[in-house]
Amino acid sequence: MKILVAVKRVIDYNVKVRPKADGSDVDLANVKMAINPFCEIAVEEAVRLKEAGTATEIVAVSIGPKQAQEQIRTALALGADRGIHVETDARMEPLAVAKTLKALIEKESPDLIIMGKQSIDADNNQTGQMLGALTAMPQGTFASEVKVADGKVAVTREVDGGLQTVELNLPAIVTTDLRLNEPRYASLPNIMKAKKKPLDTTTPDELGVSTEARVNLLKVELPPERQAGIKVPDVDTLVDKLKNEAKVI
Amino acid sequence: MDFTFNEDQLAFREAISRFLAAELPPEVLRKNWETEDGCSRELHRKMVEQGLTGLSVPEAQGGLEMDDTAWVLLTPLLGYYAIADSVVDTAYTATGLLSALPEGDHRREELLTGIAGGDVGVAVAHQVNPLVVDMDLADVVLVEFEGEIHALNQEAVSYECNTSIDSSRRLGRISVQPAPESRLLENGRDIWAETLNRGAVGVAGQALGLAQRMLDMSVEYASQRQQFGKPVGSFQAVKHHLADVAEKIEFAKPVLYRAAHALANNERGSDLYSSHAKLACCEAAWLAARHGIQVYGAMGYTWEADLQIFMKRAWALDSYWGDRAFHKSRVAEAVLADDALIGPQHTFEE
Repeated sequence: MKILVAVKRVIDYNVKVRPKADGSDVDLANVKMAINPFCEIAVEEAVRLKEAGTATEIVAVSIGPKQAQEQIRTALALGADRGIHVETDARMEPLAVAKTLKALIEKESPDLIIMGKQSIDADNNQTGQMLGALTAMPQGTFASEVKVADGKVAVTREVDGGLQTVELNLPAIVTTDLRLNEPRYASLPNIMKAKKKPLDTTTPDELGVSTEARVNLLKVELPPERQAGIKVPDVDTLVDKLKNEAKVI
Repeated sequence: MDFTFNEDQLAFREAISRFLAAELPPEVLRKNWETEDGCSRELHRKMVEQGLTGLSVPEAQGGLEMDDTAWVLLTPLLGYYAIADSVVDTAYTATGLLSALPEGDHRREELLTGIAGGDVGVAVAHQVNPLVVDMDLADVVLVEFEGEIHALNQEAVSYECNTSIDSSRRLGRISVQPAPESRLLENGRDIWAETLNRGAVGVAGQALGLAQRMLDMSVEYASQRQQFGKPVGSFQAVKHHLADVAEKIEFAKPVLYRAAHALANNERGSDLYSSHAKLACCEAAWLAARHGIQVYGAMGYTWEADLQIFMKRAWALDSYWGDRAFHKSRVAEAVLADDALIGPQHTFEE
């Protein structure tokens, strides 16, 4: 079974994000970048399926600037077998990413596509679902457990009401939630081995995908700073303030 | 000359940094201090899985065969997270010594394979250190005896325990009379000299990491602790303390990197560079501890503040692999020598 895993280059989760001085976008200059945590969980799940003997090959895909190869190398160090880099400097929206992945799926014919439920930069939570619609593949989103057997994948999903298990025919799309697994660390020997694994490069043009933006980014700014709290002398004052100032009761 | 670190070295630093940040918060360190060994076997197993113990072991014995310049980015991380210094002693210092022995000796190969696989802990007894660190945890002790190199099983060495100010260290004063069977090399004076430099550079790296950790903790404390209605870090007297430490750290970094480069390339000035690095980095750590205590309003010394963990480690390491007087005298000797390469006519490449 071949697994295709999508990995995205995002700002490291420990970094405090700042807008550019002119407010045109998020400032990425000299900012530490990393693999999106949900994508890391996706890679780990694929590696576990391979270690269990269920999967035979893991292909890690990243779409983005040249530096996105660092995140593919991380995925290779974690256990992926080869990488594909779709190089573009365009601001990729979820639909463009889904279309690019669809083009790669047609080329690679994977049996399972595992990807993060969302990226921690844009927080869209759209790509997996859009890819499902474009490819007409069944989708199991927000997965907290994945079991593959007899040409099917059982996905336990984290939904508002609790847990829901769906059984999907392969090929299928799975998007990962936080509790699916705890990703391993890339070991030093595996970082060295990853350098020798194949990494192919292509472009959206070569795949026949348009990266044209459909959303205009008007301005990026920090949320207003939270005001300090106050102490009130008694319950009557509290009720008065909630009624007349906060207007919540 | 290109002074930048290569992709592998930076990727290693990133990987180990992520691993240690997740696995070793201060509360775990405190817990480890209270164990019999003073460290966690579980954490050690994970470090072996990460490949840390095999970093400079030759490829033939299952390692990555990286040189001192790869370690120079990792030892500060080990210091930053206050990892027991026996890790550096085994994986860096002892490995360097064993790798320098002539190939083909089966004990050399057995020990190196054991280090890479995490099965063997090695303590190094060099005459510059009156006390051997983590004797309890070591399987094998490498002993200097009249210029010879001996490898003795821990049971063959009698030692007296010595308390350290740093609760994670288990010190032992050894007495040993090696037999010819334990000898690895008859004339090992050059290797011992290189081992001393490697030990000093290993300690320097850890001291640099400790200094950075104490500075980070002091900055965080000074940003939160309020006095006269504002954070204490906004007062110039506190700012200056912290800025002095930051300056010491930045100036110590290139000195440390220079020493590692010299060791990796067998340069003739290695004694000078490693002593300089040990002095510069330990001075930064010493100052970070001293100013850290003051920024914490003298609270930093108490058991309740995490700062004391790193401070005590810095104090303990200050005299390990040569105290200040020893390293200052080596620097003086090199600088005052008639053939010293000092002046604008000499370059880094000489």
